[in-house]
Amino acid sequence: MSMSDWNIVTRSMRTRTFSSIVTILSVAIAVGLVTLLISMRDAGENSFKRGTGNVQMLISKEAGPLPSVLNSMFYASPPTTPITWAQYLELKRSYPFAWTVPTQLGDSYLDAPVMGTDGSFFESFQPAQGTDWTLATGVYFDEPFQVVVGADASARLGLSLGDTISLEHGAPRSEGGHTHDEFSFEVVGILESTGTAHDRAIFTSLDSSWIIHAHDRREAIFGHGITTSIDDLIHEDMKITAVYASLGNRKGALVQVLSALLRDPNWTVASPADTVGNLFSIVSNIDQVLLAMAIAVMLSSGVSILLALYNSMEQRRKQIAVLRVLGASRPRVFSMVLTESAIIGLIGGAIGIALSFLGGLIVTNVLAQRVGIVIEPALPLDGYLMIVLASVALSCIAGVLPAIVAYRTSVVRALRPAM
Amino acid sequence: MTIRFDVQNTETTPALRISSLAHRYASSGTPALQIDALTLDPGEQVVLTGSSGSGKSTLLHLVAGLMDPSSGTIEIAGEDIHKLNGHARDRFRGRSVGMVFQTHHLLTGFSAEENVMAALMFSDIPRGSHRDRARTLLESLGIPTPSQRVERLSIGQQQRVAIARALACDPALVLADEPTASLDPDNAQVALDLLQDACRSSNAALLCVTHDQRFVDRFDRHEHLASPLEQLQGALEGA
Repeated sequence: MSMSDWNIVTRSMRTRTFSSIVTILSVAIAVGLVTLLISMRDAGENSFKRGTGNVQMLISKEAGPLPSVLNSMFYASPPTTPITWAQYLELKRSYPFAWTVPTQLGDSYLDAPVMGTDGSFFESFQPAQGTDWTLATGVYFDEPFQVVVGADASARLGLSLGDTISLEHGAPRSEGGHTHDEFSFEVVGILESTGTAHDRAIFTSLDSSWIIHAHDRREAIFGHGITTSIDDLIHEDMKITAVYASLGNRKGALVQVLSALLRDPNWTVASPADTVGNLFSIVSNIDQVLLAMAIAVMLSSGVSILLALYNSMEQRRKQIAVLRVLGASRPRVFSMVLTESAIIGLIGGAIGIALSFLGGLIVTNVLAQRVGIVIEPALPLDGYLMIVLASVALSCIAGVLPAIVAYRTSVVRALRPAM
Repeated sequence: MTIRFDVQNTETTPALRISSLAHRYASSGTPALQIDALTLDPGEQVVLTGSSGSGKSTLLHLVAGLMDPSSGTIEIAGEDIHKLNGHARDRFRGRSVGMVFQTHHLLTGFSAEENVMAALMFSDIPRGSHRDRARTLLESLGIPTPSQRVERLSIGQQQRVAIARALACDPALVLADEPTASLDPDNAQVALDLLQDACRSSNAALLCVTHDQRFVDRFDRHEHLASPLEQLQGALEGA
């Protein structure tokens, strides 16, 4: 094989291995950060929007739409203001809903929130638009004291069919919570993953949830050792915390119902998709600051390329002068230095993309375990290509000054014997 | 883009012809070099001596086209190198002029054969023959391990690699700037033998600059380069 510009450039990089690796790493970290941030930003919003499923209206008595959506659809914390069963029935009667799903939150099992609901949750509500619930194994609950477990909760808590659990009254790890050992719940179904916050929840019937609360009430009156059944329920026990609702394809009706409910001071009504959109428009400022920081890191890595190459010029003047004596033109040595900076940008960009995948995996894992949100931080292929191209372009820009130094190197001065 | 050089028949055209050459330092305007005429025929070997500051190294830089003279012409194989600009001049130098330096100026981090091939990469010689050509040259100059990195070779071996590199493209002219200055007497002798033999076998003219008077008899011709000050003194004495 004969010698080529490529040999000279790569060998030159190898003779300065440490400096080359540090420079490449600084580019890789910057590219990784920018890529991760861009891919997470889109994926996060999509995932939140996906989690609201086919719910057109979330009706509750929470302080505002945002806490209502975060608490009742993303399990941030248990809603605090209950809706009586009678109020729910009245609501259903008053408006032409296509379907409604009553939900009740406030209990938990270890880390997992427990939602009380009825069969309509699995029949009418789609966790993601167009995606129905699917059981990985077992059946849906149809009797009190049966639970169906979300995919993530099942994996994390090691729950399988036939297991029995006791629920805790209160949110996970909340103060004042207590475990109801007197009621055993049997796992009758495990759900397939939906990629939403619902994957980390456990579902049971409203009756079961109400019986637990009725038991607390009755114990306060009759003391410990009593038993409570569905027959002991009174109106006061039968409460829910939110209603998932939809009017189907009737857009006109939706606008009318929404405006009517918005005027009613007794209800808090939220359009979940819009609320998530508003949330992201609020956090987009922070997002832009983070993006600006990532770009600043990218620019600083450009400066580090410039410094690394510029400093190496002192050592390389002789090499450049020798190449000039051998017949290399000024533009050719200029292009050799630019090629070196492009290689740094290319390798750094490729490693940066790999780092962003690794970072994405870690963040995805943490979010799935802590928040139950499954996000897929991915960009289209041309997005990654654009980022690598930008990295190469930035590196080339950073290499221009050192390349000019190489271009202007005085052969006579560089080869003058040291005195 | 193919660049054609108007190289004349080397059998009849001098390898080097210098006419009315003068060079002044741009900063001070002080005369650095003055040569009325100097000609080297193909294969001729000329040693140039002179006191320190006489402009010996400056002359080599001017001949190689690394500097432009204040006035006068320098033709290599019939081509006025200073009439060529930029890329054309660089290519012409790479093809027609070989240079051997006092401190070798080899590319560190590269093997002996890669150093020789580095000279070939700027020539018109087909790339496929570069390695064989480099190995043959190195072998003829007594380098048995052409793949060894140059910094691991002895000083004497490094000088041989430098000679091989200077002759790699079959130049019309080889310029040697104090080629023995960094060598002990025995190695200096061997290096000069090799340099002169190699130039002879490729019919390259050799212009060797040295201040070492011991070797002047080995060359076809000895020229002394007087500094502009010495020339002025000579002129005054003559008057």
